[in-house]
Amino acid sequence: MGKAAQPALLQGTLDLLILHALQRGAMHGYAIAQTIHLLSEEVLKVEEGSLYPALWRLELDGAISAKSGLSENNRKAKFYQITKHGQKLLADQEATWERLSTAVSRVLAG
Amino acid sequence: MFRFLQKLRRRRAMYQSIEDELAFHREMAASHDNLIPLGNTAVIAEHGYALWRFNFLENLWRDLVYAARGLRRSPLLVLAALVSLGLGVGVNATMFSLGMELLFSQPSVRDAGSVVAIRFSGNSHSPHQVLEFLASSGLLADVVGENEEVISNYNDGTETRPVFSVFTTKNYFTALGIPVLYGRGIAPDDPDEVAVLSYSFWRQHFGGDPSVVGRTLNLDGRMCTVVGILPEHHRTLIGFGYSPEIYMPRYLDSTILAIYGRLKPGMSIPAVRAGLIAVGKRMDQALPVDYKYEEGLQVSPVAGYARLKYESDTLAIAVFFALLLAVTGLVLLIACVNVASLLLARASERRREIAIRIAIGASRGRLLQQLLADSLLLSLAGACAGLALAEISAQMLARIHLPVPIPIRLQISPDWRLAIYGAFLAVLSMLACGLLPAWQAMKESIAHNLHREKKMRLRRALVAVEVAISVVVLTMGFLFLRNLMHASALSPGFDVVHTIRANVNLPPSGYTTNVQKYAYFDRVVSSLAALPGVESAAAARVMPFNGGTHFMVDLTFPDNGQKQGARFDWNAVTPGFFQTMSIPMLQGRTFAAVDRGEHVVVVNSEFVRQYLGGRQPLGTVFLWGRYDKTPYRIVGVAAVTKTMTIGEEPKPQIYEPLDQIDNDRREIEFVMRSAIPPGLQLEPVRRVLHRIEPMAGAEVHTMYSSIGLAFLPSQVGALLMGSTGVLGLLLASIGLYGVMAFSVARRTREIGVRVAIGAGRADVVRLLLGDSARVTLAGIAAGLLTALLVTKPLAMFLVPGLTPGDPLNFLVVAVAMFATALAATGNPILRALKIDPASALRED
Repeated sequence: MGKAAQPALLQGTLDLLILHALQRGAMHGYAIAQTIHLLSEEVLKVEEGSLYPALWRLELDGAISAKSGLSENNRKAKFYQITKHGQKLLADQEATWERLSTAVSRVLAG
Repeated sequence: MFRFLQKLRRRRAMYQSIEDELAFHREMAASHDNLIPLGNTAVIAEHGYALWRFNFLENLWRDLVYAARGLRRSPLLVLAALVSLGLGVGVNATMFSLGMELLFSQPSVRDAGSVVAIRFSGNSHSPHQVLEFLASSGLLADVVGENEEVISNYNDGTETRPVFSVFTTKNYFTALGIPVLYGRGIAPDDPDEVAVLSYSFWRQHFGGDPSVVGRTLNLDGRMCTVVGILPEHHRTLIGFGYSPEIYMPRYLDSTILAIYGRLKPGMSIPAVRAGLIAVGKRMDQALPVDYKYEEGLQVSPVAGYARLKYESDTLAIAVFFALLLAVTGLVLLIACVNVASLLLARASERRREIAIRIAIGASRGRLLQQLLADSLLLSLAGACAGLALAEISAQMLARIHLPVPIPIRLQISPDWRLAIYGAFLAVLSMLACGLLPAWQAMKESIAHNLHREKKMRLRRALVAVEVAISVVVLTMGFLFLRNLMHASALSPGFDVVHTIRANVNLPPSGYTTNVQKYAYFDRVVSSLAALPGVESAAAARVMPFNGGTHFMVDLTFPDNGQKQGARFDWNAVTPGFFQTMSIPMLQGRTFAAVDRGEHVVVVNSEFVRQYLGGRQPLGTVFLWGRYDKTPYRIVGVAAVTKTMTIGEEPKPQIYEPLDQIDNDRREIEFVMRSAIPPGLQLEPVRRVLHRIEPMAGAEVHTMYSSIGLAFLPSQVGALLMGSTGVLGLLLASIGLYGVMAFSVARRTREIGVRVAIGAGRADVVRLLLGDSARVTLAGIAAGLLTALLVTKPLAMFLVPGLTPGDPLNFLVVAVAMFATALAATGNPILRALKIDPASALRED
C-alpha cells in the first residue's frame, strides 16, 4: 500500500503521542497538534503532513473514532476520540516506549 | 478484515471530510497566528485517499479503462487478437463440451449416482427371469431392465416404418425416476399396450401437439396408448447421445434385458458386487444355464467419473478427446503467440510512456499490472467471442444428422464446466499473450537503446515457436486426413456402388416359423430380381458394416480328429448373395438346391488360411463346436470382405444358406445389384416390399450411403484434426505476416539506404526472404522433431499401412508450412520494394 518513507520509530512515536493526547478527551486535529506541541514544551512540532495521515490510519485501524462537532470558534470540525482498542494499543506502546527509552538511556549513560 | 469493513462502511464520508479537515487545520493555524503549514495539501489528501481505497481493485479497474482507451486507438490489433483468440478458445470450448457430453453427461434419471449397470457372466442382456430373481433377492432398492436395440414397426395409417424403440420393465420409469414433458411414464400397473414417445419422434410425427397423450399408435400391429412424452434433453442410460424414439413395456417373453439396479442408500460398489456374486451362486441352482452367473460379473456406475473407471471402451474415447484437447490447446497457444507478437510491437510504441511512469515512481509490480491489463482485456473479449462461437457450433452439431444407422443426438449445452474452462482459458491466454511483452517493455524502458535488436530477435523467436507448434498440429491433422483417404481407398471387398440395401423388419404375427419366413424371403428376392434394371437380388441375415454375429468355438475335423479353436464372423445368405455383392468366389460354388438335406457352408480365404491347416478346402468337413455332431461341408471359398470397419485386418468368415438355419429373427436384409444408378431404384424397391407385406417396416438405401458408419471414426477424426490443423496453419501465417510487415516497417530507413547506395530489387527481396526463411526453417525443424515424438501414440487410430512416422507426411507438412510462410512474406516484400530512398532517408 502506501509507501511511508519515515523511519518506523518516528511513526510509532507519533501514534503514541496522538493516543496519549487523546486521553484528555475528544479533540480535533489542530488541537492534537497543539497539545503535543505544548506538552513537549514546544520541542515537538507535528506537521499536518504527518499528523493527518496518522490520524486517518489510526481511525481505520479502529484505535480512534471520529465524529463531527463544533470547534471553539464555532466551525464544523472532525473530533477524534480514543477507543477501547486504542486504550489497549496506547498501553502497549507506552510499555514499549518505556523499555526502548530506558534501554537507549542506559546505552548513552554507559 | 476489520479495515476492509471499515472501508466499505465509511468510505464515502471519509473522502469528503479529508479536504474539509485540512482546510480547517490551516484556518486554525492562521487564526492562532503561528505555524502556517507549508506542506502540500494535495499530497496529504492523496495519502488519505490511498488509505481508504481498495488499491488493487481500483488500480485494476483504472488500468482496464486505460487499456480499453488505448486499444480503441488500434482497432486492427483488437480485431486480429479477437479473431485469433476467439477461434482458439472457440475450438477448445467446442471440443471440451463435446467430450464432456460424451463422457460425463448424466442420464436423465433421479440420483444417477446410485444407479449401476449389472452384467451377469459378462452378458450385456439377460432373460427376464434373472431380473425377477435378482429383484426378489432384495439386494438392491430397485431392479429395472431395458432392451434398447429393438426395432418396432410403426404404422401411421398409410406407411409402415421401422422405429428404434426400447422395451422396458414396467417399473423402469418409476424406479429410475425419469422426468417426462407431458403425461407420465409407464406405470407398474399399466397394461402392455402403452408407449412413451421421445421428444423428436413427437415433434416429427405429431408436430409437438400435447394432446397426443391418450391417443393410440399402431406399433408392431398392436394398438398402444401414448401415456407420456419425454423432454427434449432426455439422456439415455447408455449415453453417447443414443436417442431411441419409443419406450414400451416388454411384451414378449423372449425379450432379453440389460439389467440396471438402484443401490440402497450407503451401499458401495464392492459391497453390491459381493452381494451379486452370492445371488449369482443361488441363481446357478435356481435358473441353471451352461455358464456360471457370477463368473465375469460386471457392475459399473452409469454416470460420472466412476463410469470411466469401470468401462474400458469409454476410456478409449476419453484418450481421443484428451488428444483433441491437447491439439486444440496448441492451436490456442498459436493464437496467443500471435497476440503476444502484436502486443510486443505495441509495447515498443509505449516505451516513452513507460519510461515516464518509471521516472515518476511507478513500481515494477504496478507497471506489470498495467501492461497485463491490455492482454487481460483482449483475452477476456477473446474468450467471450470463443464461447459464443462454441455455442453456435454446438447448435450446429445438434442439428447435424450423423451418417449412422442409429439415432444419435448430441445435446451440448453450455454449463458451469464450460464456463470454468472458458475462464481458465482466458487467464491462460492472458498470461501467454501478455507476460512476455510486458516484461520486455519494462526491461526496454529501463535501458531502452540496448535492447532494440534483442527485441526483434525475441519476436522472431516467437514466430519460430509459432511455426513449430503449427507443424505439430498440422502433422496430426494431415495424418488423420491421409487416414481418411486411405480408408476411402480401401475396398470393403464388395460392390458398394451399384448395390441397394433394404432392411426389413417383419411383424410378429404370421412369421413365426422358419418356413413362413423363408417363403417370404423367397418371394421378395424373386420379385426384386424381376424389377427392371435389377440384375440380381439376395437376402442375408446380416449386412456387413451394420452389426454382425461372431462365433468363438472349437471346430472338430473328423478326418484326423483335430480340434481347432476358431473365431469367425458368421452370416446366413441366399445363393445369389455372392454374385449380387460381387464377392469373388475363389474356389467351388455357392449354395445350390442339391445341397438340401446336408449342411453346407461357404468360407472365406482367411478362414482357409487360419483354420484348415493346409487341407484342400473344397469338400472338407468339420463339426461345429465340441458336442454338435452335425457335419458341415465346405462347398466354396469366397474372397475376404470387411465386416465392421474399413481399416480392419482380414477376418475369417463362414456363410451358411439362409434356409439351413433356425431363424429366430424378424429382421432381414435384402440386397440387389442394379444396372441403372441405384438411387433411382429406391422407390420401386419400397413399392415391392410394401406390396408383399404392408405391415413390415422397411429401410431402403443405396449401399454407399448405408455403410457410412464404417468411415465415421476416421471421418470425424480427420475432420476435427484436419480443420484444427488448417486453423493452426492460418493463425501461424497471420503471425508470420505481422512480424514481416513490422520488420519491413522498422527497416524502412535501412532499406532506403541500401537502395540509395545501389541495392537492386533482387537484393531487397533476398534480404527479406532470407530473414523470413531463416525463422521459418528454424521453426519447421523444431516442429518436425517434436511432431516425430508426439505423433507416435496416434498409431492406434490409424488404418494399417499408415504409420505416424511416415516421411511423406513430414515432407508435405514442411513444404506446406514453408510455402505459407513465403506467401505471408509476399505483401511486406512488395511494400519494401516500393520504398522510396529519398523519403525514407528523410524520415525521423
